[in-house]
Amino acid sequence: MRRSMRSEPTLRHRLVAVGCLALASASCGNNPYPDSEGSKKVLYTSFVDAPRSLDPAVAYTTSAHAITGNVYDTLLEYHYLKRPFELIPGLAKSIPEPEAIAGGRVRYRFDLRPDLVFAEDESFGLGGEGRRTRAIESQDFAFQLMRIADPAVNSPVYEPFSSIEGFGGFRERLGALRAEEEGFAGLPIREQYQRAGGVAGIRTPDVSRLEVILAEPYPQLLYWFAMPFTTPVPFEAVEYWNGEGDRERFADHPVGSGPYVVASYDKEAKIVLEANPNWYGVQHPEWKAPGATYPSEGEAGDAEAGRLDPQTVGQPLPFLERVEFIRERESIPRFNKFLQGYYDASGIAKESFDSVVLEDRISPEMAARGIELAKTVRPAVYYIGFNMDDPVVGASATASGRGLRQAMSLAIDSREYARLFQNGRGVPAEGPLPPGLFGYDADYQNPYRHVDLERARLLLVEAGYRGGVDPATGEPLRLTFDTSDTSPQGRLRFQWFVNQWRKLGIDVEIDATNYNQFQEKVRNGAYQIFMWGWVADYPDPENFLFLLTTPMARSVSGGPNTANFQNAEFDALFEAMETADNGPERAATIAAMRELLERERPWIELFHPEDYTLFHDWLKNVKPAGISNPTMKYRDIDAGRRGEQREAWNEPVLWPAGVLAVLFVAALVPGVRTYFRERQ
Amino acid sequence: MLAYVLRRLAYGVVVVFGVLGLLFVLFFAVTDPDDIARQSLGERVPPDVIEAWKADHGYDRPLWPWQDWDDNQLFAHYSAMLRFDFGRRDSDDTKISDRLLDGMGPSLSLTVPLFVLGLVIGIPLALVVAFFRETYIDRLGVLLCVLAMSVSILLYIVGAQYLIAKLLRWFPISGFDPDPSVIVRFLALPILVGVVAGFGGEVRFYRTIFVEEGSRDYVRTARAKGAGEPRIMRAHVLRNAWIPILTQVVLSIPFLFTGSLLLESFFGIPGLGSLTVDAIRGNDFSTLRTMVYIGALLFVLGQILTDLCYALVDPRVRLE
Repeated sequence: MRRSMRSEPTLRHRLVAVGCLALASASCGNNPYPDSEGSKKVLYTSFVDAPRSLDPAVAYTTSAHAITGNVYDTLLEYHYLKRPFELIPGLAKSIPEPEAIAGGRVRYRFDLRPDLVFAEDESFGLGGEGRRTRAIESQDFAFQLMRIADPAVNSPVYEPFSSIEGFGGFRERLGALRAEEEGFAGLPIREQYQRAGGVAGIRTPDVSRLEVILAEPYPQLLYWFAMPFTTPVPFEAVEYWNGEGDRERFADHPVGSGPYVVASYDKEAKIVLEANPNWYGVQHPEWKAPGATYPSEGEAGDAEAGRLDPQTVGQPLPFLERVEFIRERESIPRFNKFLQGYYDASGIAKESFDSVVLEDRISPEMAARGIELAKTVRPAVYYIGFNMDDPVVGASATASGRGLRQAMSLAIDSREYARLFQNGRGVPAEGPLPPGLFGYDADYQNPYRHVDLERARLLLVEAGYRGGVDPATGEPLRLTFDTSDTSPQGRLRFQWFVNQWRKLGIDVEIDATNYNQFQEKVRNGAYQIFMWGWVADYPDPENFLFLLTTPMARSVSGGPNTANFQNAEFDALFEAMETADNGPERAATIAAMRELLERERPWIELFHPEDYTLFHDWLKNVKPAGISNPTMKYRDIDAGRRGEQREAWNEPVLWPAGVLAVLFVAALVPGVRTYFRERQ
Repeated sequence: MLAYVLRRLAYGVVVVFGVLGLLFVLFFAVTDPDDIARQSLGERVPPDVIEAWKADHGYDRPLWPWQDWDDNQLFAHYSAMLRFDFGRRDSDDTKISDRLLDGMGPSLSLTVPLFVLGLVIGIPLALVVAFFRETYIDRLGVLLCVLAMSVSILLYIVGAQYLIAKLLRWFPISGFDPDPSVIVRFLALPILVGVVAGFGGEVRFYRTIFVEEGSRDYVRTARAKGAGEPRIMRAHVLRNAWIPILTQVVLSIPFLFTGSLLLESFFGIPGLGSLTVDAIRGNDFSTLRTMVYIGALLFVLGQILTDLCYALVDPRVRLE
């Protein structure tokens, strides 16, 4: 009896020990994914900030477009490899040509591909029990365009579409009906749009044709049809996913027609996309549609970078079965997981930049691990602007102001700025247009964008500020650099500019206020110098040069021309360039505008930001776009190589556990001995 | 006792009101509704969209009662919190109540083991150290405790991720999967870090209690009667040390629900700590006030519970 009583706890102890060992062995190892996933074509990547909304009429952030760009298909899209960017047909059979019609209006006719269907979703049950999908019709595009006009949707891109005939009128009628007619706002959304009379410039003569009529020419409108804003949206999804009861909101439940569908959406932890079996590329690979086939040509360097592999060229898309976006709030764990092979691509943690990139190239240590570096210049420009309405630095100061601006421009070294504050990431800007856009001239050298302090001092003398001294006061000329950046890092950056201008004898004071106070100063015209940036929505020079036109001046219309640059010659050139086709004539006009800006210096162009993307050699066909484009369908994974590398890199090192156990016991022994000694 | 509880509840109401008011004042002293809107919508949206967003979320109203007595944000803030109407997150318009329910599981799966292990390891260790008081074990123990307390938890996190997950490759650097078959794999490292980071403070605190209790007359009497040292520690010292231990323990329990800010953020655990960190980073006032409100309520609740437990554990304590 006693024996059995003794043996019982021993058995229990054994079981506990076995359980602990099993638990330890099950939990040991740093692979965060199920082992069964290793051989699948699943791309693992991370995100920092959760998308606010996946409603394609609203989503306007990079994190949201990473999802919506792959879930919502568009009539047009960009060629994956070619630069400058080139539009190709997507859901449309071809790229429509503008047709001039009566009243100076312009019509675009989009002919849809046949047999297009939405991804499966329970919301289609509204159209009949058991229905899981339906065909895409031209009305679905019209519906989405009307959603952009809908004031309740609060779309951030209403303005670019306002040139569509009747767009603003529809918005006003809809708003008025909701405000005035009781019960109107409770009607199904499609009925509300019908009752508001629709948009005159959006027509659907049949289910496969969409016509868009503009009140005035706006050739750049086509670019907006390459963005998820203009995707077809089923009215059923908007009505069904209304956030009431247990239903999600449409903003969290995308229903699209793109190459991927959202299989799981937990924005706090993980977003999973899976290949959409209903996508036209999967349904009709025989069409060899440009948006559903891997391209056979690109720009120089694509072949050398392995992006034109003969085994890949011409293959039907997509290659990946699934894409997992995993939320990583902190950069250090994110980057370390990339180094372990658990993320296929990554940005570079600031703390690790110097060990990853050496002299603008991938470090030998990283290269030996098969890690590659892709650099992309974003279609953006950062600049220092002068308020041209200011009596000292502005246009009214005529030659004096111009000379001052030119001199100050000659004191700023963009390369040094990028080196100090951007880890060297950024192409020094010679003009407003970034590389990759029509009109960008890689050989162009702006004579006022290269540091030349001697020349700057001479220009100051000509401007009446010898040695930077203001003749009115006999003191160094005092200017104000206005900013809404009150962070210590911002202070450092602005102080650097101030130090450069101090070399000319000019005393610039930093006036950092919060954003609202800054906006107030801008509204009142009470600012002299500021720093700003612009990220283009689409890759056309018009999207940069309009920033300096008179109608866009802040003091004229409250527009984005914060420099208040108003120049009749520039405006005339812009008008000629805006609607011109890409060609020598347009290029010459852009060059003339550039020269005018070079001389007048409303901006000191600083840099075009560059994104550095790291990726493992098992991730194929990586070419970051810098603009919203469905990139996932082009990417591919060599899952076998990834599995091998992960295994080789992540074998657990267990001997320290033994050492720790021995140390623990060794530390206890004297104590136990003391205990027994004291007891005796 | 009922009168006592009611009085403490009344004090608690004052505390919670004060906390809510202070949060409102501090938050809007450093930011404004435009910043909240821009954080939510992004920098590129036009001003009319920002205005529409503010109107939709009630941020277009005056902040203070003296600007508009009938319709101001401060009163609306109190009203919403008192009705437990948490509303939607400023950052993405999702229901805060849903997010609280979703985040509680991951938070508790981290904080409960952390709490239990902290007690299970901390109290016996403190007993051992106290048992060997004024020996090298005691001195070494105290030194280690002070060292452990002196190091920031951030260093523990980054150090553990580098050493244990990256170099030794025992556990994933970060991530979370609620599946019971793999959850241990993801929680092992944050729990280990949490236990080690909290160990110094806890052991030192309990040791002080035990040493103090061990020097009392009744312990000396027990020794004089020939009771063994282990029995004295277990039956006398530990039992009488329960009150200060309870203070620490009961006060901690409510905060298990609010999660751990840094551990969840660095280890990718989608709990309520991460939610709070996101709210702070994203100027998400509606989420932040909810978390602060819940924290304040739990704090008040914890204090009342502690007092009640005193009375239960120690018959000398009477709540009047």
